[in-house]
Amino acid sequence: MSALHKKLWRTIGKTREQFIAVVAVVTVGIAVYIAMTTAYFNLNESKEKFYRDHNFADYYFHVVKAPQQVTKQIETIPGVTRVTGRIQKDVTLVNDHNKRATARLTSYSLPIEQEINSLQLLTGRFFAEEAMAARPGEQYTRNGDIEILVDPQYAEANQLNFNDTVTIVAEGKMVPLTMVGTATGPEFIYLMKDAATLLPDPRSFGIIAMSLERAQQLLNLPGQVNQVLVTLAPGTDAEKVAEQVKSILEPYGNLAAYPRKQQLSNAMLEGELDSLKSSSRFMPAIFLGIAAAIQFVILGRMVRSQHLQIGVMKALGYNNRQVILHYTCYSVLVALCGAVLGTLLGLALASVMSRAYAVYFNLPATIGAVNIQAILYGFILSLGVSTLAGLTACRSVTAINPAESMRPEPPKGGGKTLVENLSWLWRRLDTAWKMSIRSAARNRGRFAITMMGVVFAVGMLVVSLFTIDAVDYMIESHFHQNQRYDYLIRFTSPVKENELLNITRVAGVNKAEPLLEIPVKIKFNGKNEDDSITGLNPGSTLKKLRDPREQPVEIPEAGLLISQRTAERLGAKVGDTVEVETLLGTGPARHAPVKIVGINKQLVGGGSFVSLEQANLILQERQLVSGVMLKVDPAFAAQLKEELEDMTAVSSILSRRQELDNFNQNMDSMVYSISIMVIFALLLGFAIVYNSSVISFSERQRELASLRVLGFTVKEVSGILLKENLLQSLLGVALGLPSGYLMVKGYISAVSTDLFTMPAIIYPTTYIYSALGGFFFIMVAHLLAVRGVRQLQLVEVLKNKD
Amino acid sequence: MTNTVLMRLNRITKTYHMGEVTVNALKETTLDVYRGEILVILGPSGSGKSTLLNIMGGMDLPTTGEVFFENRNLGMANDNQLTSYRRNEIGFVFQFYNLIPDLTARENVELAADLVDEPLAVTGVLRDVDLADRMDHFPSQMSGGEQQRVSIARAAVKNPRLLLCDEPTGALDYQTGKLILALLVKINRDRGSTVVIVTHNTPIGDMAHRVIRMRDGTIAEIRENASPLPPERIEW
Repeated sequence: MSALHKKLWRTIGKTREQFIAVVAVVTVGIAVYIAMTTAYFNLNESKEKFYRDHNFADYYFHVVKAPQQVTKQIETIPGVTRVTGRIQKDVTLVNDHNKRATARLTSYSLPIEQEINSLQLLTGRFFAEEAMAARPGEQYTRNGDIEILVDPQYAEANQLNFNDTVTIVAEGKMVPLTMVGTATGPEFIYLMKDAATLLPDPRSFGIIAMSLERAQQLLNLPGQVNQVLVTLAPGTDAEKVAEQVKSILEPYGNLAAYPRKQQLSNAMLEGELDSLKSSSRFMPAIFLGIAAAIQFVILGRMVRSQHLQIGVMKALGYNNRQVILHYTCYSVLVALCGAVLGTLLGLALASVMSRAYAVYFNLPATIGAVNIQAILYGFILSLGVSTLAGLTACRSVTAINPAESMRPEPPKGGGKTLVENLSWLWRRLDTAWKMSIRSAARNRGRFAITMMGVVFAVGMLVVSLFTIDAVDYMIESHFHQNQRYDYLIRFTSPVKENELLNITRVAGVNKAEPLLEIPVKIKFNGKNEDDSITGLNPGSTLKKLRDPREQPVEIPEAGLLISQRTAERLGAKVGDTVEVETLLGTGPARHAPVKIVGINKQLVGGGSFVSLEQANLILQERQLVSGVMLKVDPAFAAQLKEELEDMTAVSSILSRRQELDNFNQNMDSMVYSISIMVIFALLLGFAIVYNSSVISFSERQRELASLRVLGFTVKEVSGILLKENLLQSLLGVALGLPSGYLMVKGYISAVSTDLFTMPAIIYPTTYIYSALGGFFFIMVAHLLAVRGVRQLQLVEVLKNKD
Repeated sequence: MTNTVLMRLNRITKTYHMGEVTVNALKETTLDVYRGEILVILGPSGSGKSTLLNIMGGMDLPTTGEVFFENRNLGMANDNQLTSYRRNEIGFVFQFYNLIPDLTARENVELAADLVDEPLAVTGVLRDVDLADRMDHFPSQMSGGEQQRVSIARAAVKNPRLLLCDEPTGALDYQTGKLILALLVKINRDRGSTVVIVTHNTPIGDMAHRVIRMRDGTIAEIRENASPLPPERIEW
C-alpha cells in the first residue's frame, strides 16, 4: 500500500462518523433506486408475460346481446387477429351464511388456449363444458352440476374448496354451482367491482368462470353473447377497427366500447407501475443529490484544512492530478460502500415490495429476478455522482502554491451581513447570535446545502405523513360525511317506488331513501364518455355531494350534477346541455338532452347525479327505483341484514361498516411503507446536519477553545454552535413545510390515475409532526457533533498555529 | 507595595504522557503571586513557563501539589469551578489574539463583558486601548497590533484580578510590541490587576516588579526589580 493510500485510510478512520453518515445517505439512495427499479421491472415483466401468454384483449365491446356468430364477421376486419364472444354478467352470490356478494360470471370456450383473456388454472381442474364431461382420471363432481372456477382471492376469503357449492341468483332462481378449482386471468389482476370501489374486497366480490354453453343456459341467452373481445395486429389503428366493430354490433345494442388501457384492472396496474417508475427516479435523485452535496462539503473542508499537507505533497513532487485523485478517492470509497450496502438493502426491500404487490395484484407468475441492470446502474450512478462531487470539491487543489501554503492562514474575512441593515433587529441580538449569523453568511455554500438537505428531509416527512391524512380524510369524507347510509341495497331489476314499503317496514329501519342508478354514455360536442347517473330525491340525507371546492351541493329538481371527471373530459361546463344515452342492457336505449346545472366531485370513482324524477324522465318511466339507502337502528342491524339477505329481489347489500373494515385492513401495509419513508427522511436530515455540524465544529475548534479560556462554560459554547445550527436548520424546517406541500402536489399528480385522485389534504398535525421530526434529527445530530466541546484542548489555543 | 499573596503554587509538578513517553513539564515548583504586581516569567521553549501559566489560568491542573487562589483550592476544582474561576478572575491575552473572526472589535469585547456581573464599559475599554475609531471593524480588517489591543480590551473588560499574557508581543513588530506592553502596565496601574507575562524575550523583564527565570521545568531564579522601567524605554 502506498503512503498516499495509508493516508486515505487514516483520514477515513479519523472522520469515520462523517464517513458512515454520508455512506448511509448513499445507501438509502441506491437502495430506493434498486428496490423500486427491481419492483417495477419484476411487476412489469410479470404483467407482460401474463398478458402475452393469455392473449390479453386489445379492445372490449359490450352489447345487450348478440348472436355468437357475429364474431365470424368481426374476424374479417383487417387488423383483427383474434375475436372471442362471451357472456359476462354480474350476478348475486349467496354464500353459506346467506350473505350476499357479487360474482362476475364470465364464460369461456374450451380449449382455453384459443380464448382471448384466457384463464390460468391455479388449483383443481377446468370445468367440464357439459354436465358429466369430466375426463377420465379426474375427480367427478355430482351429476348434472354446473362446474365453475373461482378466483383465488374469493376462494380464500370465503374458504371454498374443491367440490364446494356456490349458489348464485340467475334469472330469479337460486342456482347451485360446483367449484372445481381456482383460476385467474389477465383482466382480473387487480380485482375490483368498479371504479367507484375504493379497494378490492374479495369477501364481497369475486369471479366465477364457466363454460359458454352453461352460461347461456343459466342466463337464458341461447346462442348469444354480450361481450366481444378482440386482439389486434401490432400497428393497427385501434380506433378505426373499433368503429367498424361498433357498426357491426350496432343492431345488437352497443353498451360500451373501450380499449385495453381503460380496462379497470389494467388501468390500476399501469397506474401503480407509473407511480413506481416516477418514484424510482425522484426519490434516489434526492438522496444521491444530498449525498453529493455532503461529500462536496466534506472534501472542500478537507482540502482547506489540509492545505499545508497538500503544499508539502506538491513540494515533494506530487502533481495536481495525483493530489486531486487522492482526495477524490475518499468520495469514490463512499460511493462504493454506499452502492454495495444499498444493493443489499435494495434487494431486501424489493422482495418486501414484491410481497406487498402480491397481496394486491393477482399475478400467477411473479418474477423475482435480481435486476442486474438496475444494480449496474446503481453503481454507475453512485460512483458518477460521488466522483463528480469529489473532483469539483478538490479543484481548488490546483491553486495551492507549496510555498504559500506553509504560511498560517489569515483570519477569515468577517463582514457585514444583510441582517445588519435591519439595525433595530441587529441591536436586539446577543453576541452569540451575531456570530452565528455572520458565520452562516461567510459559509454560504455550506449553509445553503445544509438548509436544502433539511428542506428535503422535512418535505419528505410531510409527504410520508400526508398519506395518512389523505386516507383519513377520504375515510372521513367518504364514509362519514358523504355516505351516511348504513346499507345500500341494490335490486336485481328496477322496481316501483311504492314496492319499497316492504323494506321500510322492516323493524330497525330508521330511514330509507330510494335511488335509481343508470349506466349511461354522456355526449357533448362530438365527444362521449361512459358514466353512471344516479337519481336521488332532492333533500336526500343519506348521500351528500360536494362540488370541486369541497362545498356541499344539493340535488337539483331538474338538470344534471355532472361528475368533475366527465365534465373535464367532455370539456363541458355549467349551462351546457349534454346528451345522455342509457346503457341499461334491458329495454331500448333512451336518448335525452340534459342541462348541466352543477359539478360534483368524488374522491373515488365518479358518477353524475340527477333528481329521481329526472332519472325517470330520462328512462321515460315513472317512479322507478333500482335501490335504496338505509339508515338503521344499530340494535337491529344484524337481524335486519338477515331479513334483507332473504329477499330474492335484492342483488347486493353494501354495508358501510364492512367497507370501512376492509379499508382499514388494507392500511396495514401502508403504515409499513410510511415508516420506512419516515426513517429514510430522518436519516437524510440527520446525515446532513451532522456532517455540517462536525465540519463547523472542527473548523472553529480554536475559536471555541478560546471562548472556553475566556470563561465560557461547555454549555455556552455548545449553545453558540446550536444557534448556528438552528439558524440554518430552522430555516430549513420553515421552508421544508411549504416544500412538503409542493412535493405532495407532485406526488399526487404522479400517483393519480383516471380512477383515483388523492386529495391534497395536509392536516396541521402533519406539519407539526414534520417540524418536530426536523427538530429531532437536528438535535440528535447537533448533540453528537458537539460532543467534542467537552474535550476541547484549552492549552492548544495558546500554542502557535499550524 | 505590600506583598499580599493572590495566588500560591505549592510544590506543584506536571507530567504529560504522550503516548509511551512521559514528559516532566514542570518539576516541583513553588511560587507566590502577589496582588497588584507585574510578574514576568522568562525562559526558552520547553522550560515549563507555558505549563505554569496554564495552571495559573485554571486551564490545566497540576499532577501533584496545591494551587490556591486566595483561599480557593484550585487543585481540587472540577471543570465547572475552573470555568467559573476563569470567567470571574482571569483575563487572558494570547500570542495570536484568538479573536472571533465573525465579531467586530466591539462585539468581541462585549462577548467577554457579557460573562461577568460588573464589567467595565465596553467603549471605555476600547478607547483606553486607542481603538475608538476601529470599534466596528472585523479582525480580518485590522493589523496584528490592533487585533492584540482588542484582545487586551477583551481581557480587561471583565476587570479581572489576574491578567495572564502568553507571549503578548510574540507576533508583533518592535514598536507595536512596546505599545501593547504599555497598555498592560496601564491596566496594572489604573485597575490594580495583577499582570503575569510569559515571554522568551529577556528585556521585557525590565518592566516587571519581579522576574522569574524558568529552566528545565523549574524556577531557576526569582529577581525583584526595585525600579521597573516603563515599556517605552525597554530595548530589544
